[in-house]
Amino acid sequence: MTDQQPVVVIENLTKRYGDFVALDSLSMQVDKGQILGFIGPNGAGKTTTIRILVGLSKATSGRATIAGCDCLTDSRKIKRIVGYMPDDFGKYNNMRVSEYLDFFGAAYAIGRRDRVRRIDETLEIAGATHMKDLFVDALSRGMQQRVAIARTLIHDPQMIILDEPANGLDPQARIDMREILLRLAELGKTLIVTSHILPELARVCDLVAMITKGKLRAFGTVDDIMRDIKQRRTFEVLLLDGQSVEPVATQIRKWLDQKEPTGLESKNAEATQAVTADSAQTLVRFETSLTDNQLSELLNQLVASDHAIAQFRELATDLEDAFLSVAGAGAQGDAT
Amino acid sequence: MNPVVQREFYGILRSPKAFAILMALSAIFAMAVLLRWPSSGTVDLSGTQSMEVFRILGYGLLAGVVFLVPAFPATSIVNEKSSGTLALLLNSPLSPWAIYFGKISGVLLFSVLVLLSSLPAAAACYAMGGIDLVSQLGLLYVVLVLLSLQYATLGMFVSSLVQSADAGVRVTYAAVLGLFVFSLIPALLTRGSQATASISAVTSWVRNLSPLPAVMEIMGHGSVGSSGLRDVPNLTGFAVVTIASSVVFALLTLSRMNYRIFDRSRSQGIITNDRTLASRTFRRLFYLVDPQRRKAGIPWYMNPIMVKEFRSRRFGRSQWLIRLVCVCAVISMVLTFLAATSVTAWGVDSIGGLLVLMQVMLVVLLAPSLASGLISSERDGGGWELLRATPLSPLKILSGKMLSAAWTLALVLLATLPGYLMMIYIRPTMWLQVQLVLISLLWTTVLALTTSAAVGSLFRLTAVSTAVTYVVIVGLFLTPILFWLGRDAPFGHNLVEKALLITPVGAALSVINAPGFASYDLLPAAWYVAGIVSFFMLVILGIQTWRLTRSV
Repeated sequence: MTDQQPVVVIENLTKRYGDFVALDSLSMQVDKGQILGFIGPNGAGKTTTIRILVGLSKATSGRATIAGCDCLTDSRKIKRIVGYMPDDFGKYNNMRVSEYLDFFGAAYAIGRRDRVRRIDETLEIAGATHMKDLFVDALSRGMQQRVAIARTLIHDPQMIILDEPANGLDPQARIDMREILLRLAELGKTLIVTSHILPELARVCDLVAMITKGKLRAFGTVDDIMRDIKQRRTFEVLLLDGQSVEPVATQIRKWLDQKEPTGLESKNAEATQAVTADSAQTLVRFETSLTDNQLSELLNQLVASDHAIAQFRELATDLEDAFLSVAGAGAQGDAT
Repeated sequence: MNPVVQREFYGILRSPKAFAILMALSAIFAMAVLLRWPSSGTVDLSGTQSMEVFRILGYGLLAGVVFLVPAFPATSIVNEKSSGTLALLLNSPLSPWAIYFGKISGVLLFSVLVLLSSLPAAAACYAMGGIDLVSQLGLLYVVLVLLSLQYATLGMFVSSLVQSADAGVRVTYAAVLGLFVFSLIPALLTRGSQATASISAVTSWVRNLSPLPAVMEIMGHGSVGSSGLRDVPNLTGFAVVTIASSVVFALLTLSRMNYRIFDRSRSQGIITNDRTLASRTFRRLFYLVDPQRRKAGIPWYMNPIMVKEFRSRRFGRSQWLIRLVCVCAVISMVLTFLAATSVTAWGVDSIGGLLVLMQVMLVVLLAPSLASGLISSERDGGGWELLRATPLSPLKILSGKMLSAAWTLALVLLATLPGYLMMIYIRPTMWLQVQLVLISLLWTTVLALTTSAAVGSLFRLTAVSTAVTYVVIVGLFLTPILFWLGRDAPFGHNLVEKALLITPVGAALSVINAPGFASYDLLPAAWYVAGIVSFFMLVILGIQTWRLTRSV
């Protein structure tokens, strides 16, 4: 297969347990070297999807392929091209890290000499070289995650699937984990990563798939998803003087009433409600769907009105907001 | 009311296991009494018949307490520790004593329920006449209550020491077996010998760690190893030793119900290869296999699962196996030496019988420990998913796991062979008998191994699979012996012979002409039975492995 072809192709993947639909016609594609962040609340169907991809579970209908191999019928090939790191570490007591990795290397039928080299390489990638002689059961959670990454890489897979790799890690370990993921992508690996810690994903993922109740709610780059989901942007006007807060808020409300799409009273009312004044912090916050060019007129008016304005800025929306918005919309859609 | 008592007791009662145990026990006791209930129109004034029923009830209850009671306390503290709730309890206003009392009360209340479930059967037994309410029935229950207390405190103590529920179950059952059987051996060895009076007195007290002499005394069976120069009355001795040991176990556990139970330093991962030349040379002198040496990779011709099993097992590494094999070899040779030098009055037959029993005990102790968690420990620890994600076939996974257990058992059994060689040297005509014994022992091992693996694979949690497997294996091997103990009454020759066919142990003892077994003709039927049961167990294991490895 060529580099242009997607590595992961999922088409109408459905999984039912009796009447319960765990996955409902899931479709998506991931290209080589991309990192896909797979987001969803507990029980959304993330792990079910992953288990189907690694050949541990069978889809009720639909199809999933990795590097051209069918995840169900070519499960032996899939096991060689996919590195899977489940949420559970799967430790074996009384084994040193080198012995632990040696066992998994042998399980993938890697020759003894190559295994020694691969153990050193993978430990280096995972930043765990110093743990080589430690006992697996004596490792902390963060150390275990690094060893688990090394274990996942031992057979040099094209595709890596990590289920909650940042779970239970402290902030420093999460930063380290992020760097490891980026390093793996640089090595040309394709990654699927699930996580509840959404800001972590936003920083490393090329693609994001949001899933709730087995349905794919959003799929694309982080920016695309933000744009699609968050049509109305939030702005903040920071003032030097607390007494100016109310006059400025009134001025913005009036301006928004004039400029926001007309003919819809409710829309204007919504715009008016979206302006909040905070005297304590000397700022005014408002939401709008107007463009930057239109907003420049407002900024000019505010500056001209002699109010001491310190900042006029757009508030960044994060993946968490996007996810909550998608999850909420999904729940409403299901209800109707 | 102590909230821990309430939680523990309700927790045990709500488990389906406890319900199944109580129902099964009630049914078994009722069946046992019904089977021996007099059906003829004549009245037995001698009380022999009621005594026969009482003996079945008594030994059955003893077996019930020995098998069932240790399982609950063995996991009681370690489960709390693993789930983090022990830290919460110790951090609450409850004192360590209140926590300990609460936990042990829950276990003891369940034990009382087990004993209560036998009361209808006991009442029926008493109604037949010929059984004294106080000196027989009452005393039996006193012994069983004391025994429950001892095993509960022992289980709790072990549970406070170990790091996993599985280890708690294994160590507790090993300790129970030690108290039940091995405590009898010193008195047996010093009986009628030139041992000094003080040694005799000590061995007599040690013997009382086992409930068997006390129960046999109540049953009017005489006692095991009681005819020495000095002797402590079985019941008094048992009560004193049991209460004292229970207090000691309880105090030891209480001393750990604080920060000490969580204190466990992480290994620094020191490796011999990185030490100085002097240190490496020094260690070379003391270790045949240095446990801290960096291991070579798994060679291509070895099943990686088998190597992993050896390496991840607590006592599976080479240095421990060498020690185990050496201990077995020494014991077998000491036994034979005792016979050869006529230190005891035992003949070669008795020594042969002892050797067989020692090997069977090793198999019964080791097989569940090695094989019950082969699959459940992987499922419990999250390793099963990882193995499924590798290209290893189910057959390779299964064969690797079975081989790891089989090799260990084979090594241990091989280590006891020097004893047989010495027997053949003393009496060359025994060559054929020894061959038959060894084949019987081989079948015993296969039966214990396949049964342990099959039964253990049915459970998800390692602790549960270990406990159930021990109960099944000990029950499987002890049942024929219980029938044999009642060989003159209430059981006839044919029934005992049939019961002895359940395992090949009876066949081995019969071939070696062990006292009491010579009259039974058990070969080759015992081998066929063992072969069929083992095959059936392998089929169960295969189906379970296939079921767990397929994509669903």
